[in-house]
Amino acid sequence: MSLPEFDFHAPGSVDEACRMLAEYGPKAKIFAGGTDLMLDMRRRRILPENVISIPGIEELKTLDLSSGMLKIGSCVTIARIVKSKEVAGKWGALCAGGKALGSCLVRNLATVGGNIASARPAADLPPPLMVYGASLVLKKTSAERVVSIDHFFTGTGATVMAPDEILTEIRLSEPPPHSGAGYLNLGIRNACDINILNVASYVALDGPGGAIKDARIVMGCVAPTHVRVLSAENLLLGEKPSEALFERAGEAAMNAATPRGSAYSRASAEYKKDMVKELTVRTLGMALREALGPAS
Amino acid sequence: MKKLIRVTVNDVRYEVAVKPNQTLVDMIRYDLGLTGTKNGCGEGDCGACTVILDGTPVNSCLVLAMQADGRTITTIEGVEGEKGLHPLQKAFIEKGAVQCGFCTPGMVLSAKSVLDENPAPSEEEIREGISGNLCRCTGYLQIIDAVKSVGK
Ligand SMILES: Cc1cc2nc3c(=O)[nH]c(=O)nc-3n(C[C@H](O)[C@H](O)[C@H](O)COP(=O)(O)OP(=O)(O)OC[C@H]3O[C@@H](n4cnc5c(N)ncnc54)[C@H](O)[C@@H]3O)c2cc1C
Ligand code: FES
Ligand code: FES
Repeated sequence: MSLPEFDFHAPGSVDEACRMLAEYGPKAKIFAGGTDLMLDMRRRRILPENVISIPGIEELKTLDLSSGMLKIGSCVTIARIVKSKEVAGKWGALCAGGKALGSCLVRNLATVGGNIASARPAADLPPPLMVYGASLVLKKTSAERVVSIDHFFTGTGATVMAPDEILTEIRLSEPPPHSGAGYLNLGIRNACDINILNVASYVALDGPGGAIKDARIVMGCVAPTHVRVLSAENLLLGEKPSEALFERAGEAAMNAATPRGSAYSRASAEYKKDMVKELTVRTLGMALREALGPAS
Repeated sequence: MKKLIRVTVNDVRYEVAVKPNQTLVDMIRYDLGLTGTKNGCGEGDCGACTVILDGTPVNSCLVLAMQADGRTITTIEGVEGEKGLHPLQKAFIEKGAVQCGFCTPGMVLSAKSVLDENPAPSEEEIREGISGNLCRCTGYLQIIDAVKSVGK
């Protein structure tokens, strides 16, 4: 199907893009990789009067590790995340999320910012970003604010972002020693599908072989937004990691999940609930192995 | 409103007047007349529209023509050299990797990108590199054979 009519703008800087958003109002749409927006426009779900193309803005394409923190410009492509050795080394679950996204062709266009801003509950990057405690920088002409990704999503396709704001940067602090994370997604095929379910887990230990001092578990596809499973996280805190403990956390996650069956994937709600447990146990195992280090 | 953009396609410079809602694949096919690039699903699923944009293979159905302003594109028509078909194209023919041919332009460009990045790719890397290109005819094995025979 052909695209609806709109005006096209390619600002050269974030400031110029912000000014355009302010001028054109809510009928303007940011176009990053376009891999979500093109479909939304073709299917007439989004009908912008003005399309503001941002992948040419250099300042949004930096991947910076110099401050001990990972700063990802919103227009960094998924392909760059997947290929970055630094990301793979310290934020492995994010790299895994990137690898699960689309095909290599899609990953060459799709951006990190777009995967967050589109706020789809099946998206691959939000679970790892949430377990790593990412914060998001939002800019508009008059102001800049930083929000935790935990408070960013308000519903399917809905976020706290105002229509005149741009997501410019995603910040991740370096995971502490003796911590690790894991990400798994369940789909129908390996490339180009929509997740049935996705889970990321993170644990930090109180020293080598110590008790769990911090834990985060996030699941997608079971509610209108990605959700943290606080009941399962709390159950892990202060405990020594063990298979039995992870089983109990998996059960808590299963009980917290309220998925709907999906006609597209033919996955029933019951199946998804069972798999929540399975993926939680497995990602906790992955997180623990990373936390214990290569010697384990 | 139409706007004039400048693109270099297969080493030829073009000035084209394009509409804001025109996709890159449509510009290539209808304005430049380079119909080797196919328009299949129009949604990023099939890879028939694959072109190499500034060195990176992308789905040209997901790119707006205006976004190509000032950039460099290789389509299947630009793969052939002065000495005739590219070794990959020859290998596709020899190994029976072409049946109906609809996926072939995109498949060849994705495979070429794999080889440009790594002249000796593993089978896994080849499979990964063509993961965005669907083929309804060959069952992929002949395609992987063809790419392997050129690599090394
Ligand atoms: C074939 C195919 C397969 C796919 N498979 C997957 C998959 O497996 N997993 C997955 O998670 N996704 C998948 N996707 C969806 C899509 O590729 C990703 O969500 C991608 O990360 C979106 O990024 P983008 O840059 O293309 O976003 P765009 O389409 O450019 O934008 C998406 C939305 O976010 C807004 N936006 C984008 N950037 C910003 C910003 N910086 N500030 C404010 N708003 C912004 C846009 O206005 C738009 O509403 C797939 C898409 C296709 C076509
Ligand atoms: S036509 Fe572009 S991916 Fe199918
Ligand atoms: S040869 Fe027919 S689709 Fe591949």
